[in-house]
Amino acid sequence: MVFTESKRYYVERRIAERMAATSIDSFPAYFAFLRSEIRDEVEHIINAFTVNETYFYREDHQLECLTKDLLRERIQEKRPGDAIRIWSAPCSTGEEPYSIAIWLLENWSEVDNFNIEIVGSDIDTRVLGAASAGIFGKRALMRLPPDLVARYFEQLDDERWLILDDLRQSVQFSRVNLVETRQTRPQGQFDVIFCRNVLIYFDDESRRVAAENLYDNLLPGGFICLGHTESMSRISPLFEVCRYSDAIVYRRPREMNP
Amino acid sequence: MPLVRRGSSETAAPTLEASTVTAALASGSIDERWTAARAAAELPNGLSLLSDALSREADPRVREAIFTSITRTRTPESAAALLPYLHSDDASLRAGALDALRAMPEATAPHLPGLLTNKDADVRVLACELVRNQPVGEANRLLRPILTTESQANVCGAAVEVLAEVGGTDLLPFLAECAGRFPDDPFLGFAIQVASDRIGSQASNRG
Amino acid sequence: MTPSGKKNVLVIDDASLVRAYYRQALEKAGYRVDEAMNGLEGLEKLLMQPFDVVIVDVNMPQMDGMTFLSTLRSKDLPLAGIPALVTSTEAGEQDVAAARRAGANYYVVKPISQEALANYIDLLTGVTR
Repeated sequence: MVFTESKRYYVERRIAERMAATSIDSFPAYFAFLRSEIRDEVEHIINAFTVNETYFYREDHQLECLTKDLLRERIQEKRPGDAIRIWSAPCSTGEEPYSIAIWLLENWSEVDNFNIEIVGSDIDTRVLGAASAGIFGKRALMRLPPDLVARYFEQLDDERWLILDDLRQSVQFSRVNLVETRQTRPQGQFDVIFCRNVLIYFDDESRRVAAENLYDNLLPGGFICLGHTESMSRISPLFEVCRYSDAIVYRRPREMNP
Repeated sequence: MPLVRRGSSETAAPTLEASTVTAALASGSIDERWTAARAAAELPNGLSLLSDALSREADPRVREAIFTSITRTRTPESAAALLPYLHSDDASLRAGALDALRAMPEATAPHLPGLLTNKDADVRVLACELVRNQPVGEANRLLRPILTTESQANVCGAAVEVLAEVGGTDLLPFLAECAGRFPDDPFLGFAIQVASDRIGSQASNRG
Repeated sequence: MTPSGKKNVLVIDDASLVRAYYRQALEKAGYRVDEAMNGLEGLEKLLMQPFDVVIVDVNMPQMDGMTFLSTLRSKDLPLAGIPALVTSTEAGEQDVAAARRAGANYYVVKPISQEALANYIDLLTGVTR
């Protein structure tokens, strides 16, 4: 990564955010903290600066939150066999929706009791094509333990792994522009939406429309997860904030009973 | 395998007609009013429907959708429809109107000179904030008279807040002049000092 | 309170210079200060760490001070009762009354001197000097 003078403000802000998040007041103290290589903090810094990179199990603390807290809440009013719908938007080249699938199969004790629908959507048809094809390189797999890679991927050659057909077939991919209600509404309503690192790039008007679309795409009481450095406080007042041990997420308010 | 894939949904978003939207806005449930408000942005007479609905709507979520739809219509008339709400006694209506105006800077621009000289000082404070999203040169031009002639320190404070971000070095003497006009205001002197330092140091970084 | 014994103040105001001004006053008086730009961010910060007092301005984007306060007071959490100083440029009786209804402990009209601010916060956090 190359940082020019114009990026200085960006760098300062990211470091200030990490210092605030770790409650460390002085930069020398923060730098010492980083150097002592607390693994999570190094990942946070990397995530903060590489917002556009995608790989499997990125921000896995949100996946922890998904199974430990969010789905536990969602199934309280569901019966066995009911659908659970999860949206990854934007899904880019598929790492996120496939990660969700693998994570659920590996970590959720209730996974066999429900019909889990994972939908991946993006505005860019090229990345959707790649996502459907399901071929990934070393970098995308770098955070997966070798036994998971062996279990869910077939190695094609030195550089490429193909995700298992069962998983490829189990994710629905669709082209969607989050600002276009005509494209978002047909996706239906979800229990959980992952909408990471895209809303910040919209202008004010588009951001409002997208937030309203996402609200409509959530079931009452459904959750939406943003990127690690994002906050709904700069985006929209429609959602409630919920703090869990692994993540801050947002929620469409539950229906009030008449 | 508990993971299932369904085919794409066949149901497209319903296109609402003007009469349906009007009726829903007037007497529908919260969800119906919400959907109607969102749809109204696309109707030819949408602005008047939305403006009318806003005057009667109490639910915060529906208000938010109305404000967004008004923003989407994006004409100077759209901005004009929101201006009265800057005077509202209801803080959330003031904030909602301000956020909507902030999101349509071009439509708001023709109204700024009037807002900055409004007889209500609280409106002038909000107007300074709206200048922030204007092109930098225009923002400087609009706020300079505040520094030299505005009688209320709070309004000057609001102008200085914006200038700390977008002010040019040619405004430094006017900032100093403004500080001199309110020697007893505890906050303004501090604000002008910080803003002047920031403007000065940005200039030397660029130089 | 932090392990150092300092009390924590959350300043919620959309003007960065106002936040800087309060920060200077309160840090000098021995408080630890954190900032938020609007009511939504304020609610988030209150969920993340403990605070002893909150200063909130009325006019802010996304969520104004009154909505913030009434939302906060309606929550079933310990922080719902946190002492709150509301600031505003408006001095009308109805504005003060609205703030009281929303759950304010004090209402202060801007501009406020740094000394007065520190005094109010001392009062609200039970600090005697």
